[in-house]
Amino acid sequence: MSSDDNKKAINRLKSTYPLRDKIDETYRRSMEASRAGKPTVWAMVNFYCGDPILKAMDVEVVYPENYGTLLAASGLAQQYLDQCDADGFPNHLCGYCRCDLGYVSKVKQLNGQIPPDAPLGGMPKPLFLLSSTAICDARYKMFQAMGRYMDTPVWTLEAPTPGVNEFFMENCYENVVKLGVDHLKQFVAFVEKTLGKKMDWDKLDEIVDLMIEVNKVWYEINELRGAVPGPMHSRDFWSSMSAALLLAGDLRDSLRLYQDMYKEVKYRVDNHIGAVPGEKYRLILAELPPWHSLKFFDKLAERGWNFVVESFAYQPPIPVDLSGVRDPLERIARFHFQFYAGRYRVARDQNVMLSASPYISWGKDRKCDGALLHSVMTCRSASGNLPPVANVLMEKLKVPSLMIEGDIVDLRLFNAHDALAKAEPFEETMQHYRNVRKQAGFDW
Amino acid sequence: MNDIPSSLSIIDESNHGRVKKVRDMKSLGYKIIGYQCALIPVEIMSAFDVVPYKICSDIKEPITEADRLLATASCPVMRSCLDCALKGRDDFLDGLVTTHSSDPGEKAARTLGAYTNYPYFHFIDMPGTVRPEAITYFKTQISDFAKTMASFTGKRLSTEKLNIAIELHNRQRSLVQELYALTRPVPPLISGTEIVKIVRTLMTLPVQEGNNLLVQVIDEVKKRGKGPAQKRARLLIWSSTLDDPGIMQMFEEQSNVVYDETCGGIRPFRSSVKVTADPLDGLAAYYLKEITCARTFRQASLGEIEKNYSEDLRSRFGYLKQVVEKWKIDGVILLLVRYCDPFAFEIPSIKDYFSNLSVRSTYIEYDYSERALAPLRTRIEAFIDTIS
Repeated sequence: MSSDDNKKAINRLKSTYPLRDKIDETYRRSMEASRAGKPTVWAMVNFYCGDPILKAMDVEVVYPENYGTLLAASGLAQQYLDQCDADGFPNHLCGYCRCDLGYVSKVKQLNGQIPPDAPLGGMPKPLFLLSSTAICDARYKMFQAMGRYMDTPVWTLEAPTPGVNEFFMENCYENVVKLGVDHLKQFVAFVEKTLGKKMDWDKLDEIVDLMIEVNKVWYEINELRGAVPGPMHSRDFWSSMSAALLLAGDLRDSLRLYQDMYKEVKYRVDNHIGAVPGEKYRLILAELPPWHSLKFFDKLAERGWNFVVESFAYQPPIPVDLSGVRDPLERIARFHFQFYAGRYRVARDQNVMLSASPYISWGKDRKCDGALLHSVMTCRSASGNLPPVANVLMEKLKVPSLMIEGDIVDLRLFNAHDALAKAEPFEETMQHYRNVRKQAGFDW
Repeated sequence: MNDIPSSLSIIDESNHGRVKKVRDMKSLGYKIIGYQCALIPVEIMSAFDVVPYKICSDIKEPITEADRLLATASCPVMRSCLDCALKGRDDFLDGLVTTHSSDPGEKAARTLGAYTNYPYFHFIDMPGTVRPEAITYFKTQISDFAKTMASFTGKRLSTEKLNIAIELHNRQRSLVQELYALTRPVPPLISGTEIVKIVRTLMTLPVQEGNNLLVQVIDEVKKRGKGPAQKRARLLIWSSTLDDPGIMQMFEEQSNVVYDETCGGIRPFRSSVKVTADPLDGLAAYYLKEITCARTFRQASLGEIEKNYSEDLRSRFGYLKQVVEKWKIDGVILLLVRYCDPFAFEIPSIKDYFSNLSVRSTYIEYDYSERALAPLRTRIEAFIDTIS
């Protein structure tokens, strides 16, 4: 460990940094492609559904959701939020979307020019917009709303999510897969028509395999996080997730980088090296972090808080063997749905809501003392079911939760001082529940 | 004062009145199944001889119990529905059917499933687009719903029985359309408030009984001497839901609300289920394509590779043009229930659409609480002052 690392509250993984660069690379490559007259696309996070297809077609992709976090992190979000408000969008809409709508509004005002202060050179003019119905309404309504500012076609990817009990009805899973395959065939036809070239199916085949492999290694890395002290902090998770979740960058390179990360995390586990020196408390962060204030977690790390579990929506699917599925589109459909399908049975057996269920096993396996629930004022999806998460953690594991209010992008809605002031009394609560768990027969 | 048609005077559309009505039906042996929103295929329930009962929010009931399960920054109407259920106010229900109506709607649905204890519960997954493959999938979801209903009721669903139910509900849709035609004259023959009361009542009754009521109301309204007075403006209200007669009455203090494009108004009735060889095909297409809820992604042509904003607006809101013309609309209220994201995203675009038609519109947001009503009244008055 270098002397510089000793000064830091969070002992970051060295293998994180090249993975973190992957997302910046997408903006750089998109700009280069745009300048070279090649197509670029804006996509919402689509959970392994549209990305492999675009990759196989050599289309560079940027993610406006991610760009929202970038604007927030660089302190530039406010002007775009204001622009969006001024255009008449309600100010309780998703912070990412408000930033992005403000951005496209500004671009229109500038006659198609990218705002000069846009971080990483901005987002180049897209050939089409790829939205998804997964997770929330905003992720397809925003691109529709962008029609005010740019005449760019939109494709909305279907992301079926049956009920937990209903999923076990005869043929339900196969019906979901059928929709996925039929829909992706149409999407491929749309992309081919838009680009004026044919899909390279062999290339897609290879990309899908790589996507599954990358996510498998990423999953295995996270499985190591039950070790005490926790070898990897949530900040490393967030910095590293884009290469697996968004397939950012070259997948072969990403696979190697995740393998490197696995080795580094394993080394830490074997040698009892923690991400937070003097780890006192191990926590869950649900759901989305305040991207504009990530240093907030350094302050908590100084108090010995290590975050070992993050958002449900960012986790890789539970690995599944799809080697027997020959059609790459079917492999995509099954892998995409595995995000949910991998968790249905446990949720049913626990008789717990799907959105809360995974936190029970994570809380237990990673020996959590508490959960920090960030109630995002502009996100119904991330915040809607935080109360049941708190309920099940207490009911099933005797793990307490602390709810703080804030936002993913809008700094005005987050009071870091207030949140930090709540940390100290919450430590007493976590301490108390350690005793409660012991009495209840838990082993941490 | 209006002459109140006798059929209307006996309606008690209040929550108390609706509950009393269904309890009476229950004592006669009916099974009552609650449903969450206008996207639920009620025909399936009618085909099994159960009464579809639209669960409603209650603005007068402070939300307390739902706070422990749904974040406060979530749709207050859904939170209110959940709150009422958790307080046992829907304890007469034999079951509940829910769907992925929107993100908060889905969250509320799954929470209702996990935290209530009705003998029957079903969640219908609903695609986001109107593409053919999405409709095919949605059909399988409706079919699964029919299967669990069959299992719950111990009855078999025949095509004939489902066709009869579709016919009855289509009849109800055409009768409601006829009811709305009564608001076209100047002054209208029936008020917006009266219509909300009637629609609320329809969502409490077996379909045939509802149709009988509609026939009687329409007949009496046509014959009554005095209808609503002509007020300062004729309004169209566009909203996710507006099923509270008290709120509608507030709008009508100074205006005639002659058309309410909401789930508590004409939206579930504006079109009809097409007759198809397999009735599930007709139902899937109707509920996904024809109910003009902002949650469903529509575009000028499926898979378009070129986009034109004007055509896009027409594909999403074009049905409102003839409403503006035929109902002689002076102004449009875009009434947003706070945190209703699908409708919130539409606001600037639908304002553009009405602006292109040279119709003035205003966007008013409220949080579905009683304290929000006074500012709401002020904003309505200001808008009417502007347009009249």
